[in-house]
Amino acid sequence: MKLAKNKLQQAFDLMAKEANLLVPMKIEGVTKFAPWGAEGELAMDAVNTLLPPKDALFPQTEKMYKYKTRLTQVESLEEIKETDKQIIFGIRSCDIHSIDCMDEVFLTRGYVDSFYSRKKENLTTVAIGCTKVLPTCFCDSMGLNPVAAPTADVQLNDLGDYYAVKAQTEKGEALVNLLKPLLEEGDGEAAALECTLKVNMDGVQKKLMNVKMFESDIWQETAQKCIGCGTCTYVCPTCYCFDIEGKECGNEGYKFRCWDSCMFSEYTRMAGGHNPRPSKKERVRNRFLHKLAYFEDRYGKGSLCVGCGRCVADCPVDLDITMFIDKVGALKEAGSND
Amino acid sequence: MTNHECTCGENPLVPQICNVIKITDETPDTKTFRVQTLDGKKPFDPMPGQLGMFSLIGVGEGMFSVTAKGEDYLDFAIKRCGMLTDALHEMSVGQQVGVRGAYGNTFPVEACKGKDMLFIGGGIGLAPVRSFIRYAFENREDYGKIDILYGARSAKDLVFKEDLYTNWPAMKDTKVHITVDCDDEELACHVGFVPAYLEELAFKPDNRMVVLCGPPIMIKFCLDSLTKMGFSNDQVITTLEMRMKCGIGKCGRCNIGSKYICLDGPVFTMAELEGLPQEF
Amino acid sequence: MSDMQAKLRETAKKLLESGEVGYIIGWGKGRTNKTSPVFVKEPAKVDELVWNEYCLNTLAKYTMDNMYPEKKIGLCVRGCDSRAVNRLIQDNQLKRENVYLIGLPCEGKKDPVTGEMVKKCIECMHHNPLEADVMVGEPVQEKGYPDRFKDVEAMEALSADERYEFWAKQYDKCIRCYACRNVCPACNCRECYVDQYRVGWQGKQNNRAENQVYGLTRAYHIGDRCIECGECERVCPVGLPLMKLNRKLLKDANELFGEYEAGMNTEVKPPLGTYKLDDHEEYM
Repeated sequence: MKLAKNKLQQAFDLMAKEANLLVPMKIEGVTKFAPWGAEGELAMDAVNTLLPPKDALFPQTEKMYKYKTRLTQVESLEEIKETDKQIIFGIRSCDIHSIDCMDEVFLTRGYVDSFYSRKKENLTTVAIGCTKVLPTCFCDSMGLNPVAAPTADVQLNDLGDYYAVKAQTEKGEALVNLLKPLLEEGDGEAAALECTLKVNMDGVQKKLMNVKMFESDIWQETAQKCIGCGTCTYVCPTCYCFDIEGKECGNEGYKFRCWDSCMFSEYTRMAGGHNPRPSKKERVRNRFLHKLAYFEDRYGKGSLCVGCGRCVADCPVDLDITMFIDKVGALKEAGSND
Repeated sequence: MTNHECTCGENPLVPQICNVIKITDETPDTKTFRVQTLDGKKPFDPMPGQLGMFSLIGVGEGMFSVTAKGEDYLDFAIKRCGMLTDALHEMSVGQQVGVRGAYGNTFPVEACKGKDMLFIGGGIGLAPVRSFIRYAFENREDYGKIDILYGARSAKDLVFKEDLYTNWPAMKDTKVHITVDCDDEELACHVGFVPAYLEELAFKPDNRMVVLCGPPIMIKFCLDSLTKMGFSNDQVITTLEMRMKCGIGKCGRCNIGSKYICLDGPVFTMAELEGLPQEF
Repeated sequence: MSDMQAKLRETAKKLLESGEVGYIIGWGKGRTNKTSPVFVKEPAKVDELVWNEYCLNTLAKYTMDNMYPEKKIGLCVRGCDSRAVNRLIQDNQLKRENVYLIGLPCEGKKDPVTGEMVKKCIECMHHNPLEADVMVGEPVQEKGYPDRFKDVEAMEALSADERYEFWAKQYDKCIRCYACRNVCPACNCRECYVDQYRVGWQGKQNNRAENQVYGLTRAYHIGDRCIECGECERVCPVGLPLMKLNRKLLKDANELFGEYEAGMNTEVKPPLGTYKLDDHEEYM
């Protein structure tokens, strides 16, 4: 099936009736996935939105439960359940894969995270193949294809005046069905696209998992310029670490979780004051190892870096994960210093 | 989608409300809190070594090892060392708290069957060990000789005094060895650091498992002593701690390498720890 | 520019060879046009240092990672960096004798992506280092920045509601990555109030109220100490116009306490850090 580009707005209206529709928007200079109809301009040509779409499933701040207390007693405690239907439209292959990664974390290994799973069940993803790449894009080096996201519910590909539309799951079929009045017969293949930034992950994960690597000088050298801000973790589509805190007002309050960053000193500091990751060396080491080695070791689903390039573009000091990958790749053996 | 396997209700991140039914002063800075659900049950059924997230609604949550379980209650021994624990120590009986769990793996109670046991605790480190000690006494026939070596800074810092001086020494084939770092009160016990006393007691490594919990510095020197005495790394079991928030392996912060302490730990053998980055 | 780069490398080599400095903090090459802070320890590696139109980062704050160096730290300084050095010295975060300042006159830097001069350099008031132990290159013409408070005046002309709406929209964007704080030479508290989670000054929720609490608290903390390097605004991933806020406080300080620029030397104390009998105190 195909959708003429001049019917895009109609398609949005149709989808927005069924669900909270998130589309790439530029709002006050920031590109992100925002509700269709929000104040701002549609940004279909933003190859990668500045902010990742992860907050559709994992909001930066998410209320978990609310409570009322009276003196020493807990009068009520009620879980907050969000069950609104959501559609993300125009998401790219890298970000679709980031959802696959978060699914592993939140939905497997003994516990299902109810807050995430409720949102995931109610989410339909409409991917769109890229027609150009940014200088910082390297998703194909991480095993992805910029024009095809196999795990998206619907795949669109830009073919000039129209989008080729392909449902890839049951949810996707339902959505295509909804759009049927606007669709025409037809098909077309997206032109292949290659990223210009290339990294070679061959052997990198294995080298990094070697315990010898943990004490390598490479960490001090790499981390030296880090200023310890959370930019990389907050623009990253797969950084899922969170904190749980509460907010109280009088005798009622709520517990919420919010994005946290392993780059912050407070992240691992314990009640007695001890911090197992006292400096930026340990923090950068943990982040890069998590991205490039630990996730694969734990979940067997490849790297937790999807190659979207956001951190490469936005790091204030150009601490570039692709240059780090190259550096590890060039090491003669794990743990050696040259 | 498989659902989670814990006993805490529908959502693993939402606590159950419990009553504090008993508070025991252990030392000037440690209290044991006994909790029970509002309908008079234990909030969950942990195995030795497992953890529980204990929260004072409106103040905060913290992960603690379950010190003991009874028919209809759980005990948490909690040392005062931060904002949350300060507030917990201000509680009185009848206070309601939130509890969720059980989290983490357990002491290898099965693999230790048929063996002599040496339990070593330092300070509040006896709290996690106690769950295994109690389990061993409940299943006394399954285990050989039991030695308990416990050290604290001073006599007033000894936790679980009734167990140490009355209950445990009365058990079959059981010896309790107590030491304090400095002799500041009149108390009939050994004076000296745990590692030195450990070497003095000269335990034989044959068919014996060691459970070792305490401050990192004590663990380090006890390990040296145990190695000197001929124990191998797979005979020594310990627990790790890191800052935790979720307890279910999602929030990210308690990892050591690709392992999460809240899920894959807190119990590790020293042999397992050797294969992990030394970041604890 | 390449002459200066060669001279910089030559100077760096001499300093490292003679043992005058332990290492040199300068700029190095990134993958693209971008440059990135580098730390050069060996004379053989001075070619890692670059000096070109994209050397954007201010470097002085890296000295805080090594507050008790065995040897002096060689630090490349432009006008902005030298003001940052003064800031750190005055705030007792750096000892002058611990740094060897390699001065580099600077005519402004370009954005590596757009190729245009960056905002902070357009607004620069001191292109030449205020202090240096050695100078690389000839001083450049100072242009000043007559429009220093123009943005602030435009903001002041708005009504309170309009101003609120403007800043509300801005702080709705904030993702609280704290890049502005971490890059700022005036944000040198050993422990930021934000990280004192036990006290709970700052809620961790990302919402307008908490974001504004953060933004305003930081603005006030650096109110009279901001050296106007513009790094906070440059590094902000969501583009908050932070210098508008900082310059508002500087403008007020100028109006209340007389003409003042922070970090010009280490003698003149920040107006809010000193007390004079004739200080304004109508709010008391």
